[in-house]
Amino acid sequence: MQVVPSILVMEGKEYADGSGLTRLEFYARLPEFKSSPTTAAPSIGDFSARYRRLLDGSCDHVISIHAAEALTGIAGAARQAARDFEGQVTVIDSQSLSLGLGFQALAAAEAADKGLEAALSSIESTRRRLQVFAVLDTLDYVRRSGRIPAALTVFGSLLHVKPMIELGNGEVKAVGALRTTKKAEDRMAAFFHAGGQMERLAILHTGAEDRAREFLTRLMREDSHALPREILIVNVTPVIGVHVGPNGLGFAAVRA
Amino acid sequence: MTVETARSKKLRLKPYDGQALKRLVESGLLWLRTNQQTVNALNVFPVPDGDTGTNMTLTMTSAWNEIKDSGEKHVGRMAAMVAKGALMGARGNSGVILSQLWRGFARGLQDAEIIDGPGFVRALAEARDTAYKGVVKPVEGTILTVAKDTAAAAELALAATRDPIAILEQIIPAADASVERTPELLPILKQAGVVDSGGKGLFYIMEGALRHVLGQPLDTPLATVQPLSALNLDAAMQQVEEGQDYEVVVDFFPDAGFEVNKFYSRLEQMGTSIQVGEGDGMYRMHIHVPLEKRNEPVDYIMSVGTITKVAMENLMSQMDGVSGKSKSTKLELATVEPGQIGVVVVSPGLGLSRIFASLGAAAIVEGGQTMNPSTQELLNAFENLQTDQVIILPNNKNIVMTANQAREVTVKKLEVVPSKSVAQGLAAMLVHDPNGDLAAVAAKMSAALKTVKTGEITLATRAVIIDGVRAESGQAIALLDGKLVNAADSVEQAVLDLLKTAKAEEHELITMIYGEDLKAAQANQIADLVRQAYPRLEIELQDGGQPHYQFILSIE
Repeated sequence: MQVVPSILVMEGKEYADGSGLTRLEFYARLPEFKSSPTTAAPSIGDFSARYRRLLDGSCDHVISIHAAEALTGIAGAARQAARDFEGQVTVIDSQSLSLGLGFQALAAAEAADKGLEAALSSIESTRRRLQVFAVLDTLDYVRRSGRIPAALTVFGSLLHVKPMIELGNGEVKAVGALRTTKKAEDRMAAFFHAGGQMERLAILHTGAEDRAREFLTRLMREDSHALPREILIVNVTPVIGVHVGPNGLGFAAVRA
Repeated sequence: MTVETARSKKLRLKPYDGQALKRLVESGLLWLRTNQQTVNALNVFPVPDGDTGTNMTLTMTSAWNEIKDSGEKHVGRMAAMVAKGALMGARGNSGVILSQLWRGFARGLQDAEIIDGPGFVRALAEARDTAYKGVVKPVEGTILTVAKDTAAAAELALAATRDPIAILEQIIPAADASVERTPELLPILKQAGVVDSGGKGLFYIMEGALRHVLGQPLDTPLATVQPLSALNLDAAMQQVEEGQDYEVVVDFFPDAGFEVNKFYSRLEQMGTSIQVGEGDGMYRMHIHVPLEKRNEPVDYIMSVGTITKVAMENLMSQMDGVSGKSKSTKLELATVEPGQIGVVVVSPGLGLSRIFASLGAAAIVEGGQTMNPSTQELLNAFENLQTDQVIILPNNKNIVMTANQAREVTVKKLEVVPSKSVAQGLAAMLVHDPNGDLAAVAAKMSAALKTVKTGEITLATRAVIIDGVRAESGQAIALLDGKLVNAADSVEQAVLDLLKTAKAEEHELITMIYGEDLKAAQANQIADLVRQAYPRLEIELQDGGQPHYQFILSIE
């Protein structure tokens, strides 16, 4: 698997996602930035170059799978680039983000040696069984980033609330507004346990590893049978983090 | 104590038809209105939002408005109109139960052209039954008991006479005794040192009817001296009569030989809206007088005692000021489409209305001062919404019944989520889903009510000992989920004590909603004190604008 990084612009400087600043450092500094960092998709040229390199090398075909098209222009750029590689590049909208996207890519990679069809259908199968939920610590960062999905305007409240969202079918759905961290985690645990047996699981967080670990411990205590053996704890990329703010918590699960 | 006056002799000759009932309803209303403040003062908790008198008066006024232009002679049809007016105008629990009493009373007289003895007794029995059936958990020592005892006394009287007037004369003392007995039946009344307010209100309505028959006046209260703290001068502002220009309040120590009755009669010659209160030997007299008589009360009182303080207020300019308070600030309410659920919220203050609107309320009903919304007012709020699925959040235990009554009357699908406080209402609003299934959303909201504790801070209107808590008049008191828990000498201290009692340290978030009696600066100071005391908690301060309660707190 290969990654074409998005761009993070912080205080006037451009960083490719994954280099220049560790995620830990990013989330620690996020509340202090004078002006909100911005993000940008990779360029069409970035994709073309990568496809060229891979197809000239040992690859017969490239599956280019990306974050939900409804939320970002990444897949759009990939599609444009793919037009120059007729039939050799398949661009897929994961309709998800973070490990929601990641698990689909993982499934495809695992099925890749069985051929293109198998890889594509494993992506399809994974996406159908995918559930992604998250609770943000505050609406401030969503507001500041200017990218309020229509769903979240539901939370335009004078009271401070922690919005809970579900990511699915390419869109962000508001599923609740909680006033306290405890209530938010209780609600998320309820969604978690309602889904049943899991094949894959990642606990997602934005700069809050301790919180993620405690949450996982709690989930295991409540019902360890449904959990898969391998569980990832992921500090979500700053490219997403800048829009949702630190101390967010969520999970991506592929139901069995 | 039957006084056979010329008037009652005359009435004994009249047919007791629809027009007679109309006069009796009017009399009941007038006498209740005259004694409205006395009933309001019978609040169990020493909190300034006693509203039973006002609620029952407004309910009766609505009933009166329904019949005042009617020439209907059929007593059954007249009674039905009274019941209808009471139903639509019912406010507060007491108003709702009163409307149920009228409904039963009307049912008892359904086919009757005139009221006779047996008919009257039957109507009282039906009234009692309907009222008891209308309450999920009937409690003795309330208006229900007074209705029951009245019906029983009527039954007894029927054994000796078939004349409805004679029966009326006998049931009034029985009703009075029943009211006096209520503290024996309901312990909290005994602790608070008051009789049941709803029962007292019902008594006044019936006594008014009797006073009319006996030719006694209905517009001046009996010369009673109330406890000083029960004087409700704010509410007097809402009832300024025509021709009265000045409000005069005089504090004085009376000389020996001071006679209350004579005092009252002299004052009655000068003006209206007379209230006399007494505390620790000091008397306070309140009166509304026309311009040319503005000095008379002071001159008179100087002749019967030693004056310590005089206050005069120009009523007309006050009234203009009051109406100038703009209710024109537009709220951004949620628009509701067919198929969605519209939430109607009762809000006591403008700031709170804004917050509820921001959380997605489709309609706000203002329940400020001592006025609770009537059934009609709740209906008006949602009848015009573009949906037939509605949820009401009453946010006050005294409005839950009215909301349920609205449910009986509307054709829309209405669920009442029984929030007893603004804090509970906010918690419910946060789980609202306009696109969900009505019953499921209502259930989720109802479950959410239990996830917060409600704190209320106000100033005690009288000295009291309830549930082991002692409060002096004027002290700051704290209620936790409706129970009196603390009294302190300052609002700050009451807040801190309340939080300690509520074990705030075990929670996460305290939302402090300050009312119109506090300035923003004061509220901020107090919020900072709370932050210092609880550094690990999140403290949120909001401007609610509610009257009477310096703070409403949500602890979660």
